[in-house]
Amino acid sequence: MSQSIKRSAPASPSSSQPLLKEPAFPIWLIVFLTLLLYAGAVYFDGHGSGFHPQVYAPYSSYTQLADLQITGPPNPLEIGFRVYHKPSCVSCHQASGAGSPGQFPPLVGSEWVQEPEPGRIIRAVLNGLQGPISVKNQQYNNAMVAWGGVFSDEEIAAVITYIRQNKDWGNNAPAVTADRVKAVREKIKGHPGPFTADELLKIPAAD
Amino acid sequence: MNYGPLVFLTAFVALSASWFGFVLTPQIQIGRLTESTNTLNTAELYPKARPGQAAQGLQVYRANGCAACHTQQTVQEGTSIDVYLLEVGTNAAAVATALVNANVGFTRIDDPGFFLNLPKNILPGTTIEAAKRAFKGAQSAGAKAQIRINPQGPDIARHWGVRGSVAADYLFDQPVMLGSQRVGPDLSNVGARLPDVNWHLLHLYAPQQVVKGSLMPPHRFLFNVSKAGQHPSPDALQVPPEVAPAPGYEVVPKPEALALAAYLVSLNSSTPVFETPMTLASSATSTNSPAK
Repeated sequence: MSQSIKRSAPASPSSSQPLLKEPAFPIWLIVFLTLLLYAGAVYFDGHGSGFHPQVYAPYSSYTQLADLQITGPPNPLEIGFRVYHKPSCVSCHQASGAGSPGQFPPLVGSEWVQEPEPGRIIRAVLNGLQGPISVKNQQYNNAMVAWGGVFSDEEIAAVITYIRQNKDWGNNAPAVTADRVKAVREKIKGHPGPFTADELLKIPAAD
Repeated sequence: MNYGPLVFLTAFVALSASWFGFVLTPQIQIGRLTESTNTLNTAELYPKARPGQAAQGLQVYRANGCAACHTQQTVQEGTSIDVYLLEVGTNAAAVATALVNANVGFTRIDDPGFFLNLPKNILPGTTIEAAKRAFKGAQSAGAKAQIRINPQGPDIARHWGVRGSVAADYLFDQPVMLGSQRVGPDLSNVGARLPDVNWHLLHLYAPQQVVKGSLMPPHRFLFNVSKAGQHPSPDALQVPPEVAPAPGYEVVPKPEALALAAYLVSLNSSTPVFETPMTLASSATSTNSPAK
C-alpha cells in the first residue's frame, strides 16, 4: 500500500517544515480597517458634538446651536401669545378670542379691551371680574379668574398687549407696559376681591 | 474549556461597556436635569410639573395602553432660516443699498415694489451668517427686520409639534410614554393644538363623531350612562344625537376620563428651548390628520 502513495520530489531539508509565506492576517485588511476606523472617528467628531447633552439631531455641534440663539429684545406679542395659551385666557375666551355666546364675552372688537387707556382692563385681569357686564351690546353674567397672583407684571403686560394688538382679531390699541401694570397693582392693594363692571366704570380709565 | 476566564472577561467588558454608554453616561449628563429658564426670549421656567389631575391622567393613559397607538415624540429634521423685513423706516434707498452691501444674494434692488406688502420674507431659506449680515444691514439703515428660525420636518409640517422633542419635555413623566407605533397621531403637543377638555372627552366617548374616519376605539367604559333624574349632573357631556343615550339618560365622565383629558390637555411641548432654537409663530394652526 505504501508504494501506491505517490511521493513528490524528495523533500529537501529546508522545506521539511511548512513555511509562512504570507502573514495570517493580510496587511491590506489592517490598512483597510484602520482607514475605516479613522473615517468613522472623523464622522463622529463632526456629527457627535462630543456627546454634548444639549445637542440633539439635526444639530451637530454646540457652536452651531449657540449661533442660532437669536437673542434680542423679547417681542411682547409673542410672550403674550404664550401667556394667553398657557392655557389661561384661552380656556374661556377661545383661541379665536370670540368667547362663547351667552357665557364668556368676546375679546375680538371688545370695547373693554380696546379702551385707549388700559387702566380698567389691567384691573380686570389682575383681580378678575364678577357679575353682569355688557360687551358689544350683549349681556354676560359670569366670573373671571384673577390672574394677578399667577403671572408677573411683564407677563400681564404682554398678554394685555397681545389681546389689544391682535391683528387677526382686528384689535388695535396702544401697548401696555410692565410699569403700568406694576402701578395699577400698587393702587388696587386695598381691593382683594374681583371687580364688578360698575366699579370699573367708576374708575377713570387713565388711572 | 481552557479559555473560561477569558470568555467571561470579554463578555463582562462588552456588557459593562454598553451599561456605561447607555445608562451611566446619560445619567451623568442629564440625570440632574431640572426645570430652568433654558428658554429663548422669555424668562419662563420649563418644564413645569403637571397639575395633580393631569399627573393621574398619565397613569390612565398608561393603563389603557394609549402608547400602543400614539407616540409622544416630534422628530425634527432640519431648520430653515428666513429674514423678514418688518418696516422700511424713512429711507428705502439706504435699506436697499445696505441689503446689497450685506452680500446675501441681492445684486441690486431698484424695484419699489420690493418694499411693499410688509412684513415680507426677503431671504427665504438662507444661512444664519447671511441672515445676521442682512439683519445688521437693515438695522443700520433704519429698517426693522427679524430673523426667523423655523424647525423643519414631516412631523412639524403636520403641525404635530413646533420643534423636535428634547429630554426636558419628559422631565416630570414617570414613566415616559414615548410609544413606538403611530397608528394615531403623535400626542407630544396635543394640548397646544387641541386645548379644549370637552373636545377630548367627546373624542374619548365617540372618536368618529369628532374626527371622521378615525381608527380609535371608543372608550365608553370611561363614562357612566345614568338616569338624568331631577338634578342632572353638571359634568354631563353634551353628546351629538347620533351617539346620545336613550332620552332621560346622561353621559357623565368618570374621574378617569377627566384625568385623562386633563393629561392630554397638559401635553404641550411648544416652549422654545436652547436645544431647539426657533422663533415663535404668532398664530397656531391645528390639525390632527394621521401620517401620510
